[in-house]
Amino acid sequence: MPTMTIDGQEITVDRGTTVLQAATQLGIDIPTFCYHPGLTIVANCRMCLVDTNKSPKPLPACHATAMDGMEVWTQNEKVQKVRKSVLEFILVNHPVDCPICDQAGECVLQDHYFNFSAQPSRLFHRKQHKPKAKVLGPDIMLDAERCILCTRCVRFCDEIAKTPQLTVVNRGEHSEITTFPGEELDNPYAINVVDICPVGALTSRDFRFQTRVWFLQTGRSVCPECSKGCTIRVDTFEGVPRRYKPAHNPQVNDWWMCDTGRLSYSDYLDNRMEGPTTTVDGKRRVADTESAVRGAVEILRKEGAGKVVVVVSPWFTNEDAYLTARLLKGPLSGAAVYMGGRPDGVQDDILIEADKNPNRRGVAEIFNAVGVSYAPLSALSTAGKTTALIFGDNHGLSDAQRDLLGGLDHRIVVGAFMTPLWRQATVFLPARIHWEKDGSFTNVDGVVQRLERVVKAAATAKSDGWYSMKMGYALGGGYRFDTPGAVFDALCHDVPGFAGMSYSRLGDHGMVLGSGEPPLVPSPDVATDGPALEAAP
Amino acid sequence: MATVQVERRELTLAEKLYIPEVVRGLVVTTRQMLKNAFGKKDVATIQYPEVKKVYPDRFRGRHRLTTREDGTVRCVACMLCSTACPAKCIHIVAGDRGGADVEKYPISFEIDLLVCVYCGFCEEACPCDAIRMDSGRHPLPSFSRDKQRIHKVQLLEDGVRSIARQGGEGT
Repeated sequence: MPTMTIDGQEITVDRGTTVLQAATQLGIDIPTFCYHPGLTIVANCRMCLVDTNKSPKPLPACHATAMDGMEVWTQNEKVQKVRKSVLEFILVNHPVDCPICDQAGECVLQDHYFNFSAQPSRLFHRKQHKPKAKVLGPDIMLDAERCILCTRCVRFCDEIAKTPQLTVVNRGEHSEITTFPGEELDNPYAINVVDICPVGALTSRDFRFQTRVWFLQTGRSVCPECSKGCTIRVDTFEGVPRRYKPAHNPQVNDWWMCDTGRLSYSDYLDNRMEGPTTTVDGKRRVADTESAVRGAVEILRKEGAGKVVVVVSPWFTNEDAYLTARLLKGPLSGAAVYMGGRPDGVQDDILIEADKNPNRRGVAEIFNAVGVSYAPLSALSTAGKTTALIFGDNHGLSDAQRDLLGGLDHRIVVGAFMTPLWRQATVFLPARIHWEKDGSFTNVDGVVQRLERVVKAAATAKSDGWYSMKMGYALGGGYRFDTPGAVFDALCHDVPGFAGMSYSRLGDHGMVLGSGEPPLVPSPDVATDGPALEAAP
Repeated sequence: MATVQVERRELTLAEKLYIPEVVRGLVVTTRQMLKNAFGKKDVATIQYPEVKKVYPDRFRGRHRLTTREDGTVRCVACMLCSTACPAKCIHIVAGDRGGADVEKYPISFEIDLLVCVYCGFCEEACPCDAIRMDSGRHPLPSFSRDKQRIHKVQLLEDGVRSIARQGGEGT
């Protein structure tokens, strides 16, 4: 256990800890380019050089191991001079085309230049020119002039994606990143190299030239494309999501996410159905939310729970699942419940899971705890039923199943998109999608993570749980919540796996099911069989 | 800035009575009228549009976009003007030009003249002399708000060729 001093602060660290890690523990910031906590250390950018008493020359902090009695200075005159020189060296052939560079605004080189150098160029010779706008793969462009040769992308392909596709060729100032002959940068995790590129050398062809990053507004969310549930940021511009970026979460995805998930945002931008409809005298009519819900409730009341088929969705948030479970345990107990969801797809042993639904684990946990039993949608049977209540419109229904549902008298559909189900619906209730609602998802490993509302939905679109709550309330279930937080609190009280969780305790990285400390004082049961407080909405 | 206390002057008895002050005002107006009717003309009103006022040299007027020597728009869609714009009236959609030397160009470049405050920050922010506010022309009136959103085509109508060097030293 070596004891060392960094900028006058003493710290004892584990054997093998690097100076950079020790400094991070003390909250001291050392600038880096090539160092990435998820990749091996190469110490080739020299930006993290620090002055020590163990060597006459400055040492790279990312690579130098902590030694007993070591003294480190990260701010003295020598280090400042070294940083300035390193930056000048890196910028020798850099085109400094920040105004047209997509990375500007989130560029490490820009930040370091303004923090540690901020000197005008002293060079007058012509810069070395290299390929610009070179296509490396289906989703990646390279501007070799902007590259500072930190080799983060090369190491990412070798170590994380396990597909060695990139390398450095040539020597000296002719060095450049390129793909191996005949190879393309097309691995399923390729766009991560854009995230880890500290400069604008690697850019995503999807986001290229879309907007400047300082115009983006951002919120934390969870990627819904598979049950892994990578923690992401949804970046929006003018209220429209423009890209996903993975957020660091050691419990789920570290720093990475797959390209399929990352590019999936565009699937949710078009074909939205945001208006409720009802059927009056056999004709489909535009309705307002209140009358559409009332129409659905009247159908359910008239037919009775025993004649209802309910299709629930693993795309529910935990809150939606809880409210729907309450509906199915209360007023609609006796209905046949089927679990839908998208069919399984490809998987690998890095991040991608076969189950392409974000919250199957959480919905199962909640339904089991509340006591709602369900069958898979493949076992769908409508014998003796007259009404279907379908949550979600991405169940991958077969034609036979669609015919079965079409043969019923009523189909109440809670959906978000223009699908065949929308055409079949007798009552359509527009739903919000994942980036439009507050809530939480439980991933395949049981990690419960928050979703933030990043985009404002149309006023007529409500979450699936909201409809369940309103219908249950009107049918005499008598439970009502004002916020998703209140639903989550009630859910944590009722479902053992969620005990001890709350939105604030979930934090940035989420909590694993069953890991929460039970609360000291049990919260009052806010939501059971109270009398109906008001007439049907 | 500190608050400046202004001492209010007490009104005199004549001022408080109101009528003498009205008469005093009428005297000024009547004198001006008689002077203009019979004597030397001293009229502040300009007979627009027959007579037009000479604007000061620093009057900016409507924006315009400059062109390169080959006639293409100089703008590289860096959006620094819309970043600098305090009124958020500049809307640019960037596209890939496909050329090797200049990658980016504006597919659409819109300025909402009703929102613009004519501060000239866009011109100052522009790194390549692509937008200028020196046309000296007023925005024209229109019957709809849409007409006041001017597009790349209109901005280029007034445009001149600019030969200012693009890119820095030693490129």
